[in-house]
Amino acid sequence: MFVDAPESTITGPPPTATMDQINKTFVPNVLPIAVGTEVRFPNRDQISHHVYSFSRTKTFELPLYKGESAPPVLFDKTGVVKIGCNIHDWMSAVILVLPTPHFAMTDADGRFTLTGLPPGTYTLLAWHEQSREKTADTAQRVEVPANNPELTFHLTLAEARSRPATRGSRWDQ
Amino acid sequence: MGPIDWWARSRLRTKIFLAFSALVLAVLIATLGFTQLVVSREAQRTLNRELLTTGQLFDGLLVERAARLRTNSILLASDFALKRVIATHFEANYDPATLASAALSYKSRIGAELLWITDETAVLLVTLPGGSHGGQSLAGFSPVKQALETGKAAAAIAEIDGVLFQLVAVPVFGPDVIGFLLLGQAIDDAFAARLRQAAGLNITFLTQDRVFASSWPAQSRDRLVPAPAARAQLLRSQGAQQPLLLTLGGERFLSLVFPIDARLSQPLHALVQGSYDRALAPLRALQWRILIIGSGALLAALLIGIGLAGGITSPVQTLVAGMREVLRGNLRYRSSIERHDELGFLARSFNDMVGGLEEREHIKDTFGRFVSRDVAEAVLSGRVPLEGERRDVTILFQDIRGFTALSEALDPAALLKLLNRFFTEVVAAVEAEGGVVKQFLGDGVMALFGAPQAYTDHPERAVRAALGIVNRLAGLNRELEQQGLATLQIGVGIHTGAVVAGLIGPDNRVEYGVVGDPVNLANRVESLTKEVRATVLVSREISARLGPRFVLGRTAMLPVKGKKQPIEVVEVLGLD
Repeated sequence: MFVDAPESTITGPPPTATMDQINKTFVPNVLPIAVGTEVRFPNRDQISHHVYSFSRTKTFELPLYKGESAPPVLFDKTGVVKIGCNIHDWMSAVILVLPTPHFAMTDADGRFTLTGLPPGTYTLLAWHEQSREKTADTAQRVEVPANNPELTFHLTLAEARSRPATRGSRWDQ
Repeated sequence: MGPIDWWARSRLRTKIFLAFSALVLAVLIATLGFTQLVVSREAQRTLNRELLTTGQLFDGLLVERAARLRTNSILLASDFALKRVIATHFEANYDPATLASAALSYKSRIGAELLWITDETAVLLVTLPGGSHGGQSLAGFSPVKQALETGKAAAAIAEIDGVLFQLVAVPVFGPDVIGFLLLGQAIDDAFAARLRQAAGLNITFLTQDRVFASSWPAQSRDRLVPAPAARAQLLRSQGAQQPLLLTLGGERFLSLVFPIDARLSQPLHALVQGSYDRALAPLRALQWRILIIGSGALLAALLIGIGLAGGITSPVQTLVAGMREVLRGNLRYRSSIERHDELGFLARSFNDMVGGLEEREHIKDTFGRFVSRDVAEAVLSGRVPLEGERRDVTILFQDIRGFTALSEALDPAALLKLLNRFFTEVVAAVEAEGGVVKQFLGDGVMALFGAPQAYTDHPERAVRAALGIVNRLAGLNRELEQQGLATLQIGVGIHTGAVVAGLIGPDNRVEYGVVGDPVNLANRVESLTKEVRATVLVSREISARLGPRFVLGRTAMLPVKGKKQPIEVVEVLGLD
């Protein structure tokens, strides 16, 4: 869940986020970040990983490394970045680069709480990797504060499978 | 003349020869026929099996090739360097030439005949070969369509620019799908030729209307691949798994059709052809050999047949010739065949038989000197009953008058010579009438008519014989007169009656004879000739049985010795 907002300029040091590699898996599976965030890719495994992305939003490559020797990667464009490990085909994760710092992840049951929003009227969007609906079509307006309003989003999920890279390269498609 | 007739009349040698030849010929034909039957059936069965095996082999080969292609494709698609190059198409500074050259390198690396690369939406980026397709979308083209739908590798057989390809489409993950690789191996003439090398049978890939590839050389393909009309029949038959025998280009082929799953407008088939004639070639060679050996055997059999037939028939012919000799009366003939088999036995038997005949003839001749040939023959032939029989016969007695005076006038040798000449005439005259001279009585003879040879007209025969003797004597007398010698006068008496005829005498000197009163009476009639001065005198019993042509003379009733009553005798003068 995130607030649809024009990209805000970030002042001061860029915020950071972390995409771990634990037991040959990216953790978390989906990492939402605000545009301009630097993401670190610490390798908690005993073996090397080779993290890469060919996504249009951010193309980068962290050739074979162990531990925290890889430099942080700055995500300066909004969009969906699919990352993988060159030497482990099954490893993949999504970094969702959002135009706003106001976002939340649902839990396993699909519940979420979005906090820290200044009073005002907002448009909320929902994104899911397997969603059949376009992100823009999920828009719901909400006024803050309004006694902690509850919003429900209904997304139809497609079968989990690989998708053409371009399809998800933009969060609003 | 019918064949059966002809066969019946053929010579033994011909028959043996023909029978031998027919037997060998029959064996030869039967052998050839049987070989043809067994071997051709076996050849067809073997060829059928080969066709089916080839079909399975080919099926396996296609599957294996697809699997290898798939493995290669997946390996290739997992190559990070390639992924990186493909991913450049997302970038603003995308350089198609770099991607194309990389593709060329990859294509040669895995030995694929076709390597196409599309973007993640199946729009072509690189086409090797097939430059004209750049920028086209393969979203609807199998197997890319399936790969696009499933996100997994997919395989299909499809046509690209007129060439049949085994294709595998595989997505390239980065880690999302960043593109597709389409790899292909051509199903072309070279492939068919390789299959032919492996299986030994010709294979053609075709649809009803089109031939895609074939192991037949291009120049003979039109002849050896069935035309669309024949193809239709062939394709219909595919379910039966039973090869069809088609004559193509003057050669017979067993043809079997296998369906191939392909994305074409018409169903694709693999046609496997095996030359039936070539499969039968060993049979032909075998048959030639059998024919040569058989002909040799036939020739040998004929020669043996000729030899054997000759061996059997030449002695038979010798015997036949001998038989002809014997029939002509040459009883001296003896076969010279010396063998120890049945033919030898036959020849010895023949010789024995002819020897027997000769001996009998000799006996007959010997007999004939003293007795009549008729008697001899009758005795030898067993016509004379041993127990004797009562027969009606005519008895003729002849005597020379004045013989005593004659015997004194001539020296003994001249006398015997004269007598023998006379008796020769008498015997000839008697035998001319079927009578037999039974006895020579010094200067006379006794002759029988009606025994042992039975005649109903024996009285006439006896009288004719008497007249014959008189005639022959006239000739002899003329000769005697010319030599200045005294002529001979004779008397002949004839009587007829029932006598007992049979073999008379002890065992070692038995002879045929007649006894009874008529014999004595005939003798008496002869002795009366002197009294009445007649030459031929017959009893009343005789004259009564003479025909009208006999000229009779005087008649007299005369007493005879031993008879109380006088008997009536008649003089016979001659014949009209």
